[in-house]
Amino acid sequence: MKQVTMEPSETAATAVSGAPAVRTDDVWKVFEHDGIVVEAVRGVSLAIEPRDFVVLAGPSGSGKTTLLNMIGGLTRATRGQIWIDGRDITDLPERELARWRLERVGFVFQAYNLLPVLTALENAEFTMLLRGIPEDERRKRVESLFAEIGIAGLEDRRPSKLSGGQQQRVAVARAVVGRPALVLADEPTANLDSQTSSELIDLMARLNQEHGTTFVFATHDTELMRRAQRFIRLVDGQVVEDERRR
Amino acid sequence: MNRPAAPWLRLGWRNLGRNSRRTVLTAGGLALGYCSVVVMTGLGRGMVAEMIGNGTGVLSGQLQVHSRDYLPERSVHETIGGRDGADVEGLVEAVAADPAVIAAAPRVYGGGLVSGGDQTVAAGLIGIDPKREANVSLIMRTGEAGRHPSGEANELWIGQEMARQLSVEPGDELVVVAPAADGSLGNDLFTVVGVFRSGLAEIDGTIAFLPYQSLQRLIALSSDRVHEIAARIEDAWEAPAAQSRLVASLSVSFGGAKVEDWTAFQPEMVQYARLFESFEWVLLVIVFVLAVFGVANTMLMATFERRREFAVLRALGATPGVVLKSVLWESVVLGAASLALGAAVTLPLLVWWHEAPPDVSWLYGDFTMAGGLVRPVLRVEYPFGMMVFAAFALFVTAIGAALLPAVRAGRVRPADALQD
Ligand SMILES: Nc1ncnc2c1ncn2[C@@H]1O[C@H](COP(=O)(O)OP(=O)(O)O)[C@@H](O)[C@H]1O
Ligand SMILES: [Mg+2]
Repeated sequence: MKQVTMEPSETAATAVSGAPAVRTDDVWKVFEHDGIVVEAVRGVSLAIEPRDFVVLAGPSGSGKTTLLNMIGGLTRATRGQIWIDGRDITDLPERELARWRLERVGFVFQAYNLLPVLTALENAEFTMLLRGIPEDERRKRVESLFAEIGIAGLEDRRPSKLSGGQQQRVAVARAVVGRPALVLADEPTANLDSQTSSELIDLMARLNQEHGTTFVFATHDTELMRRAQRFIRLVDGQVVEDERRR
Repeated sequence: MNRPAAPWLRLGWRNLGRNSRRTVLTAGGLALGYCSVVVMTGLGRGMVAEMIGNGTGVLSGQLQVHSRDYLPERSVHETIGGRDGADVEGLVEAVAADPAVIAAAPRVYGGGLVSGGDQTVAAGLIGIDPKREANVSLIMRTGEAGRHPSGEANELWIGQEMARQLSVEPGDELVVVAPAADGSLGNDLFTVVGVFRSGLAEIDGTIAFLPYQSLQRLIALSSDRVHEIAARIEDAWEAPAAQSRLVASLSVSFGGAKVEDWTAFQPEMVQYARLFESFEWVLLVIVFVLAVFGVANTMLMATFERRREFAVLRALGATPGVVLKSVLWESVVLGAASLALGAAVTLPLLVWWHEAPPDVSWLYGDFTMAGGLVRPVLRVEYPFGMMVFAAFALFVTAIGAALLPAVRAGRVRPADALQD
């Protein structure tokens, strides 16, 4: 994998602050339905540095998704505190939290979750649309990113006319195009065959290297685990292993 | 933040296209609601216009000029200009000069007994200028037999029922006896020259028309004394304006004259028109209240199916307000599409119906309504105000019906809905 120098603007937001991309302090999530209490995440304290490539592993039900959702501000922690890019999001009001997600966090889902009525290009530019970035610039950024990640020419296709691998590439483009401090990816390869997922992992590793995008994965995928720079294993909502690999 | 509407309208349009069957049904329902309100209103206004046109057109005219004291007693002495009379020609010309007035005609009224053989009936005698009257009163078109009276001769044009009671037909002679203005009892011999049938029993049995000069002779009025100038105005709703103009213009040379339009001397028809107008609003409310439930139902289904997409929008950073607005934009598009469809159906239908009102005489014969002779046609008037207002109501309906679904969409919790 070739190493390239980054444009300063690409990393300014994370580099200047000097804060971890993510920090959690004794974070808990307790679900309670009809008197049944589930402690999905139990006291997780982590700091994830900018430009890291982190894998959260662990058996099904170990709390990976719940932890990612809390980090991404989709679910509030029952207890504990969370900072993203240096900002405490624990008690952020709903609107500000949405705004924060829009500007600082990218998501990649297992089921791609592209909007079916939008073309690939429109899906990829959607967060920039919400941010009020002018159309010319949105197009320019999406087109060059599409070329970079190997889906040039698919701009005008609807998701239903794309393969799973192509859809997930569009989803990755949507997540990174706004230059977030952090991309959270929950089982991004689980719906793809091994060849396709391997290519997707290459792509994300390259984005991590070339653009300095911080990735945090929740996954069962052994290849993705193998490629992690930092490997964290959760069991029953607790961190049982945390290993830096390169 | 700069958020132009175009992408949201496009998104709304495409989302509507996803379940095109459901969208077409919903838009069709709204379009049908629009069409029914507008067409029913047009029909109602057509019926009212027809009723007023006939109610005023058969005999009274849409506008009348009298001596100030003629009504309501209708004293034979109260001619226009008092006992001195007036320049009848000049007055008729002055009334006819108003831009809204199509024709004007002088009238003399009397009452008396009409006898033929051993039969006698009481009759209202209406002295007319037959040529001018033909342009003012629809009743002049209802001749059944014979012809109109002509010139100044002693000729009678009587209703069919009167002719039956007197057992006369055109060519027969009748004796007319009437109290005269000088206190004497006028009597003379008249020839029946024609029989009319208006279909209105109270007219066909009791009214006899004759040249006004012959009636003046019979009841001892000089030739410059008439009781009424009646005028025809094509659009009855223009009559009040014409009345105002004539009040001003006649006050100079015909000071004692009083000008009234049909809204003053047939106020019950104004009431009737108002009643119909209130039905329009009742209809509008009923139709669109029903439509609200229909649209709300489909919008709720459509948004419920898309909970996951709203969750994705929220996860990507859309605020609840943005999600809510996206659903409202969708309903704006639905409203616009429905209106386009509704207008595309309604306008040609209205034009066709207005231009060629279908004859429904097979459904019922002539019938009378509020004193008007209603033609057996379903006439439609263009309800311009209602076309705009119903369009507005359609949009309010579409957006109002989307409010609850939109609020619900905005409340979708991203983490919940993203769970597989
Ligand atoms: N919304 C929820 N309500 C109740 N329990 C939940 C909810 N989401 C997750 N859980 C529970 O929390 C635990 C952790 O789930 P999850 O974070 O999805 O694990 P993983 O992603 O590692 O498979 C599981 O026992 C799961 O059943
Ligand atoms: Mg999971």
